[in-house]
Amino acid sequence: MSRSNTEIDAAARVPSWISEASALLAKDIRAELRTKTAVSAVGVFSFASLLLVALATETLKEVRTVSMLRLPDIVTLTALEAQMRPAWDSPSKMGLLWVLLCFAAFAGLSHSFVHEEETGTVTALRLSMSAGAVYTGKLVFNLIVTLAVAIAITPVYMLITGMRLGSPFVFISVMFSGCLGLAGTATIVAALAAKARGTGALFGAIGLPLLVVFLILLINAANALYTVDAPLLRLTKDVGGLFSFGVLIIALSALTFPFVWEE
Amino acid sequence: MAESSVSVALEGISHRFGSRSVLVDISLIVCAGQVGVVMGANGSGKSTLLKIAAGLLRPESGKVAFTLESKPVEPMLHRRCIGYVSPDLRLYHELTGVENLEFFGRLRGLRLNNDGLRDILDRVGLLGRGRELVGNYSSGMRQRLKYAYALLGSPPILLLDEPTANLDTEGVAMVERVIAGQRSRSGGGLAIIATNEPREEAWGDMSVRLNGSK
Repeated sequence: MSRSNTEIDAAARVPSWISEASALLAKDIRAELRTKTAVSAVGVFSFASLLLVALATETLKEVRTVSMLRLPDIVTLTALEAQMRPAWDSPSKMGLLWVLLCFAAFAGLSHSFVHEEETGTVTALRLSMSAGAVYTGKLVFNLIVTLAVAIAITPVYMLITGMRLGSPFVFISVMFSGCLGLAGTATIVAALAAKARGTGALFGAIGLPLLVVFLILLINAANALYTVDAPLLRLTKDVGGLFSFGVLIIALSALTFPFVWEE
Repeated sequence: MAESSVSVALEGISHRFGSRSVLVDISLIVCAGQVGVVMGANGSGKSTLLKIAAGLLRPESGKVAFTLESKPVEPMLHRRCIGYVSPDLRLYHELTGVENLEFFGRLRGLRLNNDGLRDILDRVGLLGRGRELVGNYSSGMRQRLKYAYALLGSPPILLLDEPTANLDTEGVAMVERVIAGQRSRSGGGLAIIATNEPREEAWGDMSVRLNGSK
């Protein structure tokens, strides 16, 4: 007895998009561990950026050290920052950190789609996977790379600049929300750039308008993080706004990606 | 017990790139057990027609229809029914042959064990070379691996663009075995090939010759 159409459809839908996405993620991680393309691109940029920041902020640290010796011990670091270098306070440091993270992540994340397009493997992927599964797999890979970059860079950056932690929970929320927004933005921009047979320059050009909004929201969240006794409502609004940006970008990308993916 | 039958119908396909018409009102019907051949000069649109059949390109006008078990297949499921070999197709150079097959097999819902991998590598003449990086393969070995990729899950429809490109005599014999196996596939199978080689034209039961651009 022949199978019914329903049975054929059911067979054709196996595997689910989740298992397709996890297969793509596993493949990308395996390929990355082997070639280290994204890691080396991000690593070189991060090392150079941190070195630059260390040199550039050296004079600021000297001024602060001298000043600290003159002040009584009871003066808090926040008050000291406000007194000495109002423009080089922790929110500003957080902003600069995210500028570094954005460019470091973009240096590596463009690889995911552009490489598939340039090497021609995109044809095999299009024949074998649904657009939703491809987007999910690439997004999760980019999120892992972004989180790894943030975890590697942030402690070194904090040591160099003296950026404070603030409330650990809020700090982690800001960092995770930022990584989510950055990975979401980078994924869809990389897909657009790859489809346009683009280069890194195009990647940056398309991503800039989104990054401006993203960085404004980040600075708001950083201000809330470093405001002493900030009301819960403000924390929720500013950190939640940043998180919402990531969710919104991912939701819009998931809706538009099939049109980008298909010719 | 009714065995399934399969067919591919390309009906009135037209396509253009910019202002240049590549395909004008092309039709071809290939049924189970048959091999259709698309002939034509370079740039005449053979590869474009196969891409349209594979669902990789949307035609400006015309329709691609698959039937399986004598019932129409939803367009969104067409790709699940085909094995595709083409010069445009590339597999991952940073992975081994086996890793490529495991990855694409997983995407097709297959869990390939060692016996399954040995069998498919043996069919395409890559037995013993599967653990090498594809980046280190010769162009002929890569072409053979494309056949292994295309045959994963034994799809009822094979679309072969320049099927013997880069292959040696033994490789050409492998392609002939694949096409013969496709004709006699349990449940029905067919192949469409795009070629300029007169020898490969002889493999077909019917052919369509493209006139080229206008």
